[in-house]
Amino acid sequence: MSSGDKQARSAKRQKWTSRSIGASWQHQSFYLLIRLGGRRAAYLLLYLVVFYYVLLPAVRRKCYYYLERRFPQAGVWGRFKNSYLMTLDLGKVLVDRALVGILGADEITVELHGKEELLELLAERKGLILVNAHVGCWQVAMSALGFMKTPVNLLMQREAGDIDRHYFEHAGIECPYRIIDPRGYLGGALEMIDVLKRGEVLSVMGDRMLGDDRNGVDVEFMGGTVTLPFSAYKLASATGAPIVALFSYKTGADSYALKLYRTIRVPGGLGRGSAVFVPYVREFAETLEEFCTEHPFQFFNFFDMWQNSVASSAVGRD
Amino acid sequence: MSVKEKLKRVLIEDLNLEDVEPDEIDDDMALFGEGLGLDSLDAVELVVIVQKHFGVEIKDMEEGRPALQTINTLAKYIEQRLAG
Repeated sequence: MSSGDKQARSAKRQKWTSRSIGASWQHQSFYLLIRLGGRRAAYLLLYLVVFYYVLLPAVRRKCYYYLERRFPQAGVWGRFKNSYLMTLDLGKVLVDRALVGILGADEITVELHGKEELLELLAERKGLILVNAHVGCWQVAMSALGFMKTPVNLLMQREAGDIDRHYFEHAGIECPYRIIDPRGYLGGALEMIDVLKRGEVLSVMGDRMLGDDRNGVDVEFMGGTVTLPFSAYKLASATGAPIVALFSYKTGADSYALKLYRTIRVPGGLGRGSAVFVPYVREFAETLEEFCTEHPFQFFNFFDMWQNSVASSAVGRD
Repeated sequence: MSVKEKLKRVLIEDLNLEDVEPDEIDDDMALFGEGLGLDSLDAVELVVIVQKHFGVEIKDMEEGRPALQTINTLAKYIEQRLAG
């Protein structure tokens, strides 16, 4: 692929944004409802708001990129219904996140699967890389990691226009995690190495590219090709830190689960090229696909991840 | 062989810098971005290279950051750590 092609792909990929749909006053309305009537009141409004949004073709189109791969046989009504369910689940996650911040952590219970394995991996004292994805509610689920008694560091990029708040901002408390900004010096690479050398936990998102295509490799995902970042795997190779694919999902009105799906071991000394990391990124992609099979409406990537696949241009119809 | 010379050689070999000779790397050339053209992921590799070839571990990134600017700064950092 030429550098021009890569630049074009990278530019197109930047179309996804962390900015929220909806105006600030709409978000404030939900926060007010949570204070006045709790979860049920907020959910009631949510059902109506989501229905309104899903009537908009632009909103449905963003759902279809994923849904048409997950449910290829769905008809017109099925696609509409699936878009509603997917958007509704995202809405519930956002409400729950605000709920925890406003009313307290007791509002949500989080069940952790894989606690013993996490402790064993931490005991290796090489640090631990949690590779998450935009699924479930990782912010709430992360609260279940307190038992590790180890600082958690998040690689997180936030846009200036993002009005959506994290739970700790609602609660008016200091962020319980150390944030590493990928736009910082050398993409935060040095800080990430530092964290792992101290034996701490580094949490990164494995399902979206942040910036340069040179930091990504192409792997199969749900019948197409997606570009996923390999920096976490390179860090693991350089430091010896184990990687775990850790995903959260909503299991009930007031409950979530956080599950260790897979441990990925990357051997040391793999070097500079990107191709050597493909097998490990593929392991992650396979795990994410397994998650999507189990929890089809809790995968929250509303952009065309498959934009470099041949068939991707067919997606996006109403 | 001086630290600078060895550093240039291992950078070329371990980072697979094609069509670059040691004497083409200026001592004050920036390692990242414009200059030698290394990127953020190369920084990870660079930390490993320094430890592997010189036995110097860049533990503190606040200290290591100014070191990872040029061949001169990195060589000076390595020499100081080896002397200390």
